[in-house]
Amino acid sequence: MRIALLARVHLGTLAVLFVLALSACLLVAGLPRAMQSSFDEALRRSLATAPAWQADLTVSVEPRSPEEDLRERGQFDLRDRRWRQILPAALRPLVTGSGHMSAKTTRTPVTGTGGQTYINLGWLSDADQRVDWVQGRAPGRGSTMRYEGATIPVFEVGVSEDAQREMGLQVGQRKMLGENDYVAVQIVGIFKARNPADRYWSHNLEILQVTKIQPAGALDFEKHTTTLISDEGLAALRSEGRNLSYHWILPIDARGASALAVPDVDAAVTEFGRVAALQSTGSPYHLETGLPKLLGEFRAALGTAQTVMYLVLGGLLAVALGVIALAVLLLTDRLDHTLTVARARGGSLRQVAGAAAAVTGAAVVPAGLAGYGLSFLVPGPVLPIVHLGPAVVVLVAVGFAAARVARSHRSPLHERRDDVAAGRVSARRITLEVLVVALALAGAYLLRARGLAGGDPFLLLVPVGLTLAAALITLRCYPYPLRLFVRLAARGRAAVPFLGLTRAARARSASVLPVLVLLPALGVSVFAAVISDGIASTQRLASWQQVGAPIKVTSEIEIPAATISQVRALAGVEQVVLAQTGRVQVGYGAERAEAIAVDVAQWRRILDGAPVSVPALSDGALVSPELRGRGTFEIGWQSRVKLATRGVIDSLPGFYTQGKFIVVPLSVLTRPAVNTLLIKGDVSPDSLARLIPSGRVESQERALSAIRDDPLTRTVRWALVVVTVALGSYALVAVVLSLVVGAAERARAVSFLRTLGLSDRQAQRLTVLEILPMILLTALVGLGLGLLLPYALGPGVNLASYAGGLPVGDYSLDLLIPLALAAGLAAVAVLGAYAHTAISRRRNLGAVLRVGDLT
Amino acid sequence: MNPTLSELEARATREKAAFGGDAHIVCDNLVRIYKTEGVEVVALQGLDLVIDKGELVAIVGASGSGKSTLLNVLSGLDVPTAGVARVAGMDLLSMNARDRLRYRRSVVGFIWQQTARNLLPYLSARENVELPMKLAGRRGGRALELLELVGVGYCADRKIPEMSGGEQQRVAIAVALANSPQLILADEPTGELDSETSEQVFDALRKANRELGVTVVVVTHDPLVAEQVDRTVGIRDGRTSSETLRREGAEGQIVAEEYAVLDRVGRLQLPRDFMSALQMERRVRLELESDHIGVWPAREEPSDD
Repeated sequence: MRIALLARVHLGTLAVLFVLALSACLLVAGLPRAMQSSFDEALRRSLATAPAWQADLTVSVEPRSPEEDLRERGQFDLRDRRWRQILPAALRPLVTGSGHMSAKTTRTPVTGTGGQTYINLGWLSDADQRVDWVQGRAPGRGSTMRYEGATIPVFEVGVSEDAQREMGLQVGQRKMLGENDYVAVQIVGIFKARNPADRYWSHNLEILQVTKIQPAGALDFEKHTTTLISDEGLAALRSEGRNLSYHWILPIDARGASALAVPDVDAAVTEFGRVAALQSTGSPYHLETGLPKLLGEFRAALGTAQTVMYLVLGGLLAVALGVIALAVLLLTDRLDHTLTVARARGGSLRQVAGAAAAVTGAAVVPAGLAGYGLSFLVPGPVLPIVHLGPAVVVLVAVGFAAARVARSHRSPLHERRDDVAAGRVSARRITLEVLVVALALAGAYLLRARGLAGGDPFLLLVPVGLTLAAALITLRCYPYPLRLFVRLAARGRAAVPFLGLTRAARARSASVLPVLVLLPALGVSVFAAVISDGIASTQRLASWQQVGAPIKVTSEIEIPAATISQVRALAGVEQVVLAQTGRVQVGYGAERAEAIAVDVAQWRRILDGAPVSVPALSDGALVSPELRGRGTFEIGWQSRVKLATRGVIDSLPGFYTQGKFIVVPLSVLTRPAVNTLLIKGDVSPDSLARLIPSGRVESQERALSAIRDDPLTRTVRWALVVVTVALGSYALVAVVLSLVVGAAERARAVSFLRTLGLSDRQAQRLTVLEILPMILLTALVGLGLGLLLPYALGPGVNLASYAGGLPVGDYSLDLLIPLALAAGLAAVAVLGAYAHTAISRRRNLGAVLRVGDLT
Repeated sequence: MNPTLSELEARATREKAAFGGDAHIVCDNLVRIYKTEGVEVVALQGLDLVIDKGELVAIVGASGSGKSTLLNVLSGLDVPTAGVARVAGMDLLSMNARDRLRYRRSVVGFIWQQTARNLLPYLSARENVELPMKLAGRRGGRALELLELVGVGYCADRKIPEMSGGEQQRVAIAVALANSPQLILADEPTGELDSETSEQVFDALRKANRELGVTVVVVTHDPLVAEQVDRTVGIRDGRTSSETLRREGAEGQIVAEEYAVLDRVGRLQLPRDFMSALQMERRVRLELESDHIGVWPAREEPSDD
């Protein structure tokens, strides 16, 4: 058959099919790409923002015998090369930059300080590039000295500015280290980091900063610093009598990270650790890295994102395929005459089905290729679905066309007499439908009970099953209420309601497909809208939880009263609540708790309208669950204060979420040293920061935008919006297409009734009445399904990582978007019906009836 | 005299001449029941029909008498429920899908009443004729020849909507003839045409019958058509009820004789007007005479009182 000619004749239908297939292919291939690229971005960001000591790979060893001591740079280099050689393939793209090596001692006490001061020795392979000498010079070769009858090495060292300040170390000082196996250090220079913000220093923070440790039960802090020694110093550094360890740092380059490779990287880290341990000849090498933990956290967030995306993308694909099937239905209906003639004139089933498939392919294949091609404009890695998606769309469209034509033309004469008798449902079909419904319900129960964490494919199919079950029940049950209306209408005098509803109740089986399209379209889009809304409101809640006020200023030192009045005077400031936070002694023992003294009533006022609140408190204290059940207790804060427990709170917005904490009225303190301001008003955080240089200014809006700005969160919300819009459009197309598919038959019926005296206005009402019940019912069921799905899946899908860590559970029933979707759909259906009768009115009555004659 | 056992055996094994013998179309006790979700319609109720090769036969009957069903069965588009239907030696009941396709491709051609249904509007006349040839995998060289035969050679390159109804129907005849079938079935081919155009269309059919030797079966309501064929078969209630034979008389005039059809078990349909004229109902009396059978209305039984 002449496919090109057939295609030209049915150009309009093919154009519709082309557009539908193109959009479906583009969405199915493009969305996963865009999402994967944002997953990658999220991974990179999470790797880049994690401290380097956590993300990077560090191979360490503690030499236990003098033979294992490394004295030269070359020995370090040799091992560094070795690590890079045995690096598993999955880690290679991540470890690209050159790392550094270090040798450090820990807990090296200054002789005679009673374990209060420690000066460790440290060697960095690239110290000369990392530090600037602000005083003195870089350390060089050391010397020796006699001490307690032995010759001991004297290391030339440099110390950080921090150590100079905190520990009073000065150039020229000589310190004896060790309680036995003494060494001496000669301070020859003071250094500062060339770039203190460099991730590099995350590995060597103890060199830049003095570490203060408060041992359990002690009142004073131990001070630790690590000094820098030279290469010559390294040669003299012995492990004997020291806690000496060597480190090789292999930095992770986040730019090479890919979310797809995460499981491999995880395995590769374990493998690398194992292989590195095998390299040791004496003391074992061990791998230190927080990478698996980082990746684990990322995978948890990613898993949820993927599940949600699977659900909505699956729904989108199903709906797109349904709409395409509707368009194919329209096309094969239009082709029916040609194919019937061809079949009757000796066309084999293969020829006839092949022609239908070829005509469909003429629209779908170019559309698939175009969609596939366009999807490459979307940034992101190429996933299997990018190839598979368009192929599935094309195959389904062509296959459906061929199958439908083959089925209807199996016998050459295919005259349906659906006008004579209504179809009776077979027992087999009923059984199958009951099975589907039962499976869907059982699946929903299991999903609620188990959750989706296991990635159980059966549970992933539950939403699909629920949708299908709802569609089946709708299809099976909708005629019953309708027949009731028919009975009522039959009593009335008007003919149109009776006729319209009767026709609706006897709708041909072709009306199954619109239901199967509309229902998931509405269901998934409402689901997406509800989830998206839930995430949005939880994000808002999380931002309030984080900050606790529109603007919060915290300072380590007291904010002077003058500054406070300046803040009050700032333009836009409506209210300022003063608070003091501190760590207080509970009772008389060593028990400590965080405490805040604040005017709770005022605070409650500025939280008015926010999704968080603080219980009222006029005297006594609110305590955390860990401090519950103490009745009246005493705290030491400036003075001894006796407090009665007035309530238990799980968390205090903006301040504490766990541990021991106490909220007391500000009046409890005799002389409050205000270090926290809670501010309401339209004032820029920058001007506050200028006013209070020591303060840290946090604003709820900034916190919210920070949560929203997370790539993963942004993608999930953005994808939900795209899917909602796409599904809404598909639903509208489905309504229009189903109107057009049934057009010929309806036109015939209406024409026939017009010969009996049906007016145009009545004809319009008839068409609307015929179509509306199905659309309305489907819209209602779809709406219900979409609202129900989040509750059915709620415990299974954990969206906490998109909402600033808070579980998204309280799906507020904001019915605006869902109702707008359903109402829009119904409105389009009605408009379509009116337009349709308006068009068919223009046709010649005689021609319609004659061509439509059944023989 | 009672037959002997050997005579009975010989009689039993002797092959009976099949009904209709080697006629071109044989329908024997043909039954077609439509079942649509619980509703049964008996369209053919044991129809017998024999048509020889090269005949031009018209089938007439009231609406719903089963004409179109018979034609659909004969054209291989529909499968009878029971009975025998044989065309050109092919059994229409036992054919599988492949045989049926071959049958439609090379044995039978047909024409529907609605011109719009016979032809594809976006193809030219020639392309329409070539379509069945191409479907059968043959080359479409004969198309113009066929169009000339039915008298519409001048329409070869016109699209269907550019032709008159008569021209369209004649193109449809050419389409039916495309694969050189042995049989053409036409379902009211002139139903939508005026008498003059009908004449042209019928001429085309007759030409095909005479020149190509094709058997032609026409279902019609049109008395004009019925008058022009050698044999007219009447169908009533899914059975053949009458036959009209026409032959040329001695002076060249056409003599038409109408016969009632006697089926193989001896059933006969009396014309309805005969029955009502003599008020025959339920029972009649038959009397065998030397050269005919007499049919009388049932005698009024004298009442006992």
